[in-house]
Amino acid sequence: MEPASPIPSRTQTLRAWKEQGGGIAAVLPIHYPRALLRAFGLLPVEVWGPPRVDPAPGAAHLQPYVCSIVGNALSFLLSGGLDGTDVIIVPHACDSLQGLGSLLLDFVRPRQPVFPLYLPRGRRESDLQFLADECRALYEKLAAITGRAPSEVELMKSIRREEEADGLLAELHRRRRVLPLSDLAFYRLVRAREYLPAEEFAARARAVLDGPPADPRPGVPLLLSGIVPEPMALLDAVAEMGGAVVADDLACSGRRLYPPGTSTDPFRRMAERILNGPPDPTRGSPIAERLRHLVGMARESGARGVVFYDVKFCEPELFDLPLLRRGLQEAGLPSVHIEVDLNDPLSGQTLTRIEAFLEMVAGQPAEEARR
Amino acid sequence: MNPLLALRYHWNVNVLGPVVLRLQRWQAERRPARWDTRYLAPPLRIAPRTKELVARHWLAGRYADGYRKVAWVTSGAPVELLKALDFYVLYPENHAAICGTARLAVDIASEAEGAGYSRDLCSYARTDIGAVLSGKTPVGRLPKPDVLFACTNICQTVLFWYRALAEYFGAPLVLIDTPFVYTEEAAEHAVRYVRRQLEEAVPVLERIAGKRLDERKLRQVGLLSKRASELWLEILQRCRHRPAPISVFDQFIQMAPIVEMRGDPETVDFYAALLKEVDARIAAGVGAVKNERKRVLWDNLPIWYRLRYLAEFLARHGVAVVVSTYTNAWGELAPLIDPDDLWESMARTYIYPILNRGTGHKLRTMRQMVEEYQLDGAILHSDRSCKPYSIGQMDQRDRLIREVGVPALLLEADHNDFRAFAEEQVATRLAAFVEMLG
Ligand code: SF4
Ligand code: SF4
Repeated sequence: MEPASPIPSRTQTLRAWKEQGGGIAAVLPIHYPRALLRAFGLLPVEVWGPPRVDPAPGAAHLQPYVCSIVGNALSFLLSGGLDGTDVIIVPHACDSLQGLGSLLLDFVRPRQPVFPLYLPRGRRESDLQFLADECRALYEKLAAITGRAPSEVELMKSIRREEEADGLLAELHRRRRVLPLSDLAFYRLVRAREYLPAEEFAARARAVLDGPPADPRPGVPLLLSGIVPEPMALLDAVAEMGGAVVADDLACSGRRLYPPGTSTDPFRRMAERILNGPPDPTRGSPIAERLRHLVGMARESGARGVVFYDVKFCEPELFDLPLLRRGLQEAGLPSVHIEVDLNDPLSGQTLTRIEAFLEMVAGQPAEEARR
Repeated sequence: MNPLLALRYHWNVNVLGPVVLRLQRWQAERRPARWDTRYLAPPLRIAPRTKELVARHWLAGRYADGYRKVAWVTSGAPVELLKALDFYVLYPENHAAICGTARLAVDIASEAEGAGYSRDLCSYARTDIGAVLSGKTPVGRLPKPDVLFACTNICQTVLFWYRALAEYFGAPLVLIDTPFVYTEEAAEHAVRYVRRQLEEAVPVLERIAGKRLDERKLRQVGLLSKRASELWLEILQRCRHRPAPISVFDQFIQMAPIVEMRGDPETVDFYAALLKEVDARIAAGVGAVKNERKRVLWDNLPIWYRLRYLAEFLARHGVAVVVSTYTNAWGELAPLIDPDDLWESMARTYIYPILNRGTGHKLRTMRQMVEEYQLDGAILHSDRSCKPYSIGQMDQRDRLIREVGVPALLLEADHNDFRAFAEEQVATRLAAFVEMLG
């Protein structure tokens, strides 16, 4: 259950884009205006860790109680992993990413310019206005380093291209259970949104969506929440143990299903899209809203349990967990919490816990789960 | 307002309470010093008064429910708005620090951990949530909030934490989001954004308070806040004197009013009296450390449950910790407050706390302190619980050593959770540091 043509890797994509004369923006998690970067001919290539790097270079700057997304990103940068990129964008999501952005600017000082982007924590008019201004400020900085000044028309064109890709991404999520893809293949495809040009991603998504539907995948239906499904072998392991991921609240995917914008001002529209995304603690969404969202997703997808798959030391996730898990339990949805370090291999302990969880969920009458 | 609750409040807070607290102060004034006076100066004469002032604040909170509107507030929040609307203002961080000093924090935090809050979360937040869930507190009782008022100028953690409190109490959460200042100057659109949020908060707070904001009162509170912060800064700057009249351990204890009673007239009186005492010490040649040989700075939060241990250990070796980026934070912004242009100056003041500024800014602050306070070294408390304060310290330490030429120690601990304090390791590292100081 793999798509017909293999999805190019980050490195292949980056190389191909550069050969066409484009620039590369390395982007840290989580939310940022893709369309703005593309309007400057910069391909956003996201850096979620990456997993399994030598953590030593980052450990010379960061204490061991900082999450491995941040630690690995710094190690990767220091060991030359971002050498092929032209600019580094550090969106603000949490104290750790804030610290990383600051460290890069003040002490590490990589060859590439580093541009932080502050994300407001509400959805008020003042938040929208601020984020639009923040995008405008980023525009000025990008203009200064690229020597380009995309017009409003070009910006809107870029926004529409991303909106189309995001629409298809959302459709993939909606129909995931009847797509002819294993969980692993599904995540390879949706996570390619982290680096493929929007049009290329859209073409691949369309090819899958236009194909004949498959029989619903068997297995105990699960909702996967957390940050990032690494190592990706986890997904095959879950399937082998009799589970099927049917809904997603991951920071790297489900929390970034941005709806199309409405404003005719390109900067407001970019801001609007980010702020109207699904609930996310790093955007300050109330816990009750997150809970409603999770329960709603579980009802729609038929998920009977929730796996919170978090990166160790992630405060935004850890603060919400107790109330979310309690609320889910009250809604008849059991949950399990797993914490990983991006450098750890898939552990036997993790697998045992997921297996036990699947057995427990499978043993529960389905009606109870739908209560 | 329920007249019985009003009566109860007045009786306990204005009649009976002050008598009991005065008596306790009288007893405290006569108690022998608990810290080792072979190496340390006798305790500040004002210390019992500090205790009385702080205790009175918590006493008022204990009886506030149903009589006064209550706001739970983050330590860097623009409290002037709340004061001008007569809210009783409670600082969960201060409450957690009280629990830490009394060595109750771990017991109370365990209640939160039992409910699923990870030990990797900020220990202030765990202590507070534990207190909410269990009712355990050394201050008698915590009043329920009518509003939660969070400002992100110290960390994002407070927002995650207050979102949980909002669920527990069903109370509205008013957020003042202050974009992090990565470079020297905050962007104009960021200042505009903070100002707009301050203005937008007013009708929400007015509705909860049941009264209109009186601009004259706000100005008055702003003036008092500025004056108290100026006095606090003056007190800290007196430590440029050799020997330093007070140490950061004194400052940690004496800072409670500037955090939780900023904007009150009593706070101004209190710091004026403290300044007098500090000046008297200078005049008499009294140093906080009796044999001050070396002077160092402290970075990051205090280790609340080991203040005395650290003070005595260092004093024994003639090391005075005379300045801290932490206590300085409540004074350094005083010049920015302009009661004649309050809204704009509040926006600027509250976007610029050290914790909302880059790692390079903190290093510059420390370098300046080394110069102005003639320091011989620096202790950087790497606080497991406080990522915003701690990230950057490894580079800051390296540069202090390499570029400024002073020994600098990274001390691993946690401000409230003694389970993260390895006594032997700390002693060994401190001893090695003292040796390097010479
Ligand atoms: S994993 Fe959590 S703590 Fe780490 S960067 Fe992401 S949001 Fe921040
Ligand atoms: S100790 Fe640090 S993380 Fe905790 S509330 Fe204070 S500033 Fe935030």
